[in-house]
Amino acid sequence: MSTMRLRRDPRTERAAHRIDGTARPRFDLAAAAETTGGRLRRNPRAEVERMLVAGTSRRRLDRSQRSVSTPLHIAAPAETAAAPRLIVIEEPAFLVAVVPDAPGGRLTPHDRQMIGAARLLAEKGGAVLALLAEPCEEIGPAGADRVLLVEASTGYDPEGRSASIAMAVDGLGVRHALFPESVDGGDIARRVAADLGEALFAGAESIAANAVTRASRGRRVEQRRAPPRLISLAADAALPYAGAPREARALQDDPMPTVPTRRAILAAEIIPADPARVPLGEAGFVVSAGNGVTDFDGFRAVAAALGATPGASRVVCDAGLMPRAAQVGASGTVLEATCYFALGIAGAPQHLQGIARCEHVVAVNTDLHAAMIERAGLAIVADAQKVMPALLAALECETETTA
Amino acid sequence: MKVTVLLSAGLHPVSGRPCPAAVELQAIRLAHTLGTPELTGLHAGPAADAVRDALGQGLPRLLWLETAVEDDPLAGLVAALATDRPDLILAGRQAQGADDSGLLPYALAKALGLPIIADAVAIEPAGEGAVHVVQALPRGARRRVTVRLPAVVTVHPAAPTALPFAFAAARRGTVERRAGQAALRSGAAIDERPYRKRPKLIAKAAAGASAADRLKAATESAAGGGRLLVDPAPDEAAREIIAHLRELGVLRR
Amino acid sequence: MSAPAVSLVAMLYVLAVIAAVMMGRRVSLWRAGRPMQVDWLKGIQALPKRYLVDVHHVVGRDPFTARMHALTAGGLLAGSGLLLLAPLAGGFRLYWALIALLFAAMLAGGAMVRKRRTPKPARLSGGRFNMLPLLLIGYAAGCFLVALDAASGGWLWLLAWPGLWLAAAGGMGLVLQLDRGPMRHAFAGALHLVAHPRPGRFEGRRETALAPLDLEAPRLGVETPADFTWNRLLGFDACIQCGRCEVACPAFAAGQPLNPKKLIQDLAATIVPGGTNAAYAGSPYPHARAVAGVGGPQQAIIGREAMIHPDTLWSCTTCRACVEECPMMIEHVDAIISLRRHETLECGAVPEKAAPALAELRYADDAQGRPLVARTDFAAGVPLPLISARGEADILLWLGEGAYDMRHGRSLRALLKLLHLAKVDFAVLGPEEKDCGDLARRLGDEATFQRLAGDNIATLARYRFRRILTADPHALHTLRNEYPAFGGHYDVVHHAALLDELVAAGHLAPGALALADVTYHDPCYLGRYNGEVEAPRRLLDRLGLNRVEMERHGKRSMCCGGGGGAPLSDIEGETRIPDIRMGQAAATGAGIVAVACPQCTAMLEGVTGERPEVRDISELVLMAVEAAASPADNRAARQPEPVA
Ligand SMILES: Cc1cc2nc3c(=O)[nH]c(=O)nc-3n(C[C@H](O)[C@H](O)[C@H](O)COP(=O)(O)OP(=O)(O)OC[C@H]3O[C@@H](n4cnc5c(N)ncnc54)[C@H](O)[C@@H]3O)c2cc1C
Ligand code: SF4
Ligand code: SF4
Repeated sequence: MSTMRLRRDPRTERAAHRIDGTARPRFDLAAAAETTGGRLRRNPRAEVERMLVAGTSRRRLDRSQRSVSTPLHIAAPAETAAAPRLIVIEEPAFLVAVVPDAPGGRLTPHDRQMIGAARLLAEKGGAVLALLAEPCEEIGPAGADRVLLVEASTGYDPEGRSASIAMAVDGLGVRHALFPESVDGGDIARRVAADLGEALFAGAESIAANAVTRASRGRRVEQRRAPPRLISLAADAALPYAGAPREARALQDDPMPTVPTRRAILAAEIIPADPARVPLGEAGFVVSAGNGVTDFDGFRAVAAALGATPGASRVVCDAGLMPRAAQVGASGTVLEATCYFALGIAGAPQHLQGIARCEHVVAVNTDLHAAMIERAGLAIVADAQKVMPALLAALECETETTA
Repeated sequence: MKVTVLLSAGLHPVSGRPCPAAVELQAIRLAHTLGTPELTGLHAGPAADAVRDALGQGLPRLLWLETAVEDDPLAGLVAALATDRPDLILAGRQAQGADDSGLLPYALAKALGLPIIADAVAIEPAGEGAVHVVQALPRGARRRVTVRLPAVVTVHPAAPTALPFAFAAARRGTVERRAGQAALRSGAAIDERPYRKRPKLIAKAAAGASAADRLKAATESAAGGGRLLVDPAPDEAAREIIAHLRELGVLRR
Repeated sequence: MSAPAVSLVAMLYVLAVIAAVMMGRRVSLWRAGRPMQVDWLKGIQALPKRYLVDVHHVVGRDPFTARMHALTAGGLLAGSGLLLLAPLAGGFRLYWALIALLFAAMLAGGAMVRKRRTPKPARLSGGRFNMLPLLLIGYAAGCFLVALDAASGGWLWLLAWPGLWLAAAGGMGLVLQLDRGPMRHAFAGALHLVAHPRPGRFEGRRETALAPLDLEAPRLGVETPADFTWNRLLGFDACIQCGRCEVACPAFAAGQPLNPKKLIQDLAATIVPGGTNAAYAGSPYPHARAVAGVGGPQQAIIGREAMIHPDTLWSCTTCRACVEECPMMIEHVDAIISLRRHETLECGAVPEKAAPALAELRYADDAQGRPLVARTDFAAGVPLPLISARGEADILLWLGEGAYDMRHGRSLRALLKLLHLAKVDFAVLGPEEKDCGDLARRLGDEATFQRLAGDNIATLARYRFRRILTADPHALHTLRNEYPAFGGHYDVVHHAALLDELVAAGHLAPGALALADVTYHDPCYLGRYNGEVEAPRRLLDRLGLNRVEMERHGKRSMCCGGGGGAPLSDIEGETRIPDIRMGQAAATGAGIVAVACPQCTAMLEGVTGERPEVRDISELVLMAVEAAASPADNRAARQPEPVA
């Protein structure tokens, strides 16, 4: 539900029914009125609902503004926007730059969140300018009004790239520049800050037009200030832009020139991650087998098909069915994964310790009362032996249809 | 090879007591993988209690530039490094216990006119005057960068764990104490208050879903909601799991 | 005196000289060790008692061996000793008759030695030990024949001459092995009893605390044999390779690369310059890791290039079962900890998972880096008074690290409820309680232990209390036995003992529980380290439970595998120690294993499959008390609260 409702505006409503081409005003009230346009009206109930913090039994409101301050530009409730209109800002009062990672020209969720945050900063007449390394089609729908190609020189040259970005930020008089606090984004942000000799508000954890906050002193202190020029945004700290597509007009015809640098980097090569061999502690998605799994070839096949890193409970490692390095838990590896998929694992405290930092847990277990079932966001009480082949089949069937 | 490891005044995240920052200790270990470098730790700050323990974890020598609490360490570090001219300057990707912005190595590299490579998990010699730096990319991917020395390299937490602490070695290591440089911190006054954890805003919808879906997903519970299916048919279970994983965005196919 | 008798006595004098030379060689090796003040006079005076009472208390657990040893050793020592007096008494036939009798006894003993070794049990050694029965029998038989002849007045001379040869061969064989063979245990063992590093053991004192380490010393812990004190080296030589420690060792049973017997033999072998362990012919370390297997008094003991692999060192749970069983009173755990101290403090060579735990202890005073204020979270509503708010309490409750654990939190909650019911005046330190340092100390990190001990002692000094109560035997041992060396003297009581007291005094009135049979698992740090085996059993009996005993119980109980940092070291073996122990519990047919230690709870709860329930003693008492309070819903109380 949107927090904004359209406010009825009788005058425009009437105008919509007016029959054109007659000197005297004539109205056809039976004609379907267009509902677009008009001023927005606050919907307090929806706002409160949006502020509700989910997952707590007691009613709690989060007034940190992030969840309520949906951009004001939603022209219509998103659900009904079958063919959303392009929103155009002709004369921006100021620019808010974003520097997405956009690997291969595709925005990451973190990029989208950053653009969402940029929209908050651009609220009062500003435009969001995306500084892109390569063209990106998604950038307009994701919320950028302007784009500027800051072409990367060939190869991995963060120094050159940051120099160009710094030039753009400075040269265009950008009011704020946002970076994702990701591996490469965080690097570029700091380089730009060093180039401009300015402070970086690094890893902002909440952002609004009037204030940004971040953790400091080993996460013991929260720093808060009005948004400065350079901000890098932590993951999952802002919502992606959810309004109608933006124009993404090229700011100028030519891309920003690359700045020549010393090129101290002689060579660079990417070594892609192989989920089957990524160290467990770094894996993003782990599927684990416990004592409830008997078919380990099948299990490995499932892990491979899901593109997940295989793990196991200690019982399984003790029995030699999986290597010791695969053990998850207190005496094994403590995971950092986003998602943990447990097949036939009871969820002993020593095991749960290993997944304490996993945001999402999916469990398949025959025992409704297993601790893992309780821990899981999606819990399935079923025989893992039967679910595994079904999973394989479903995944295979999917690849066939997409192929 | 001359290697200097920058050591920050770390604070333990739970106890708040001085303690060396983990990545910096990992940096010391990385330095040891480069054969037998001439290794020095460099710290600027009012006290060296915390960093002194690094002497027990593979650091033979510590240079401590004594500065006042309100001093910006950068100027002193730059001056010391400009005279010392190490081939490789290693730092943690982010300090822990001070401003924690991770900006210092970059400012330092800029001031010294050196290239900087972030997030190393391994460093290997690459012939005369160069090293291969293996960078950690998200989710286990790596980038192998060859960089000319001298250079600044920051170390990522995925680097090999630090050498374990040896009390006797810490006792034997030497600390050289020098007066640091007074330099006032720049920057606007920042309002500070005790840290408070904020609920994460997670966009569960996969990239490319409709705006409405994303909005809906984003406002839903971040904790998964706790759905329970009892005795579904295997096919149904499989469908549910795949849909759920896709929603979480972990299924990348 | 008959001619054979004269020859025998002469030969014996020669043998005595050779024996002295052989022993001297060994003694000179011990001199490589660090000096240690020994009260010789007291030691020698105490020797007969130490031998006849303390040693035989251990040996006597196996009556056959006890008889065997009494006959053999008694016959050998008394017979040979008397023979040396022949120049004075050689003219009396009664004298010779007595000698013949003694050697007859020794002959019987020798035959028993032989019988015990056929077939050879796995715990006994082969090699040089295979010769032992023959040598003993030869020497005894020979001396017997010669003495018999002399007693008979020379009538049996036909037997006496071959007897003399037999005695010479046997005696020579025994003496020549004095430095490296089985007979070394005789003189080294006797000396060890005299110069024992823990004389308090023989005076009924609890000598289980580790000795504090001087952190200012130039070298910390033991790197080479020369770093041991000389009487420790002597102790290693006292080992008779009886294998009792091997049988008792939980790590050995679980197939981890530790065998205390071999460990002591390896240590004894390193004393000799260029020494190797090649002559050892007992059970190896299970799944032994490859090592060079050479040593020397100035050579490192631990390492792949040395005598003992680090995995061997880190497999030990410090359960003291080996020490408890050793008839030679050898202190294995002291040796292991000394070696660990060097590995940890000098080399930082700790097991992978132990390093972060020690780091957290250093900087956050908890092995998992949890906030100290969170230690009291388990109470979940049960009132938990802080001593800082009142300054004093009758009983200070030491919570220990188990308080952070959800499972043990339940046991502690039961204890709290019982204390409230019994109107005990108690309080906790709350956030002021730091880790007691047990883990750090067992892992060899004496520096961290001493800091934690100092901090805790300083905190405790600020409050007034009569006793410290704890449900954690590791904390109990550390506070009761190890803090005194740092100036903290406390009356520490285990919760089982206190609950027993409270029930006895009528402050708690448990009803009879009609549960399944219960078997009690003795925590090493309560039973063996502190000798407290009665109170928990008495308490269980007061609950009207049918109590069954495992074969290994009381001071001879088997470890759960949770001590000494072993869960962190996590050295790979064939099985897990808790699985073995749970198997023993299940074999009694009991439905419940009663435990009295958070480590035991964690280890035994970790056993999968069909097994008895694990219940802390406090939980059982609370059930009984609640059952008595409300007989109406007795049945509900009988259902154990499901494990969180
Ligand atoms: C000091 C210590 C440290 C430990 N460290 C670790 C550690 O680091 N990591 C670790 O994992 N464990 C550790 N443990 C062991 C831990 O306590 C448990 O024993 C272990 O995690 C149990 O593994 P499990 O869940 O696979 O097996 P089980 O407990 O046997 O559970 C199997 C589960 O599978 C379910 N199941 C059975 N059949 C099926 C089926 N066909 N389909 C679906 N489900 C089925 C059952 O309902 C059950 O819930 C440690 C223990 C101790 C004492
Ligand atoms: S150490 Fe003790 S128990 Fe072990 S074999 Fe030697 S004498 Fe026997
Ligand atoms: S203390 Fe226990 S584990 Fe260690 S060697 Fe002795 S019996 Fe084995």
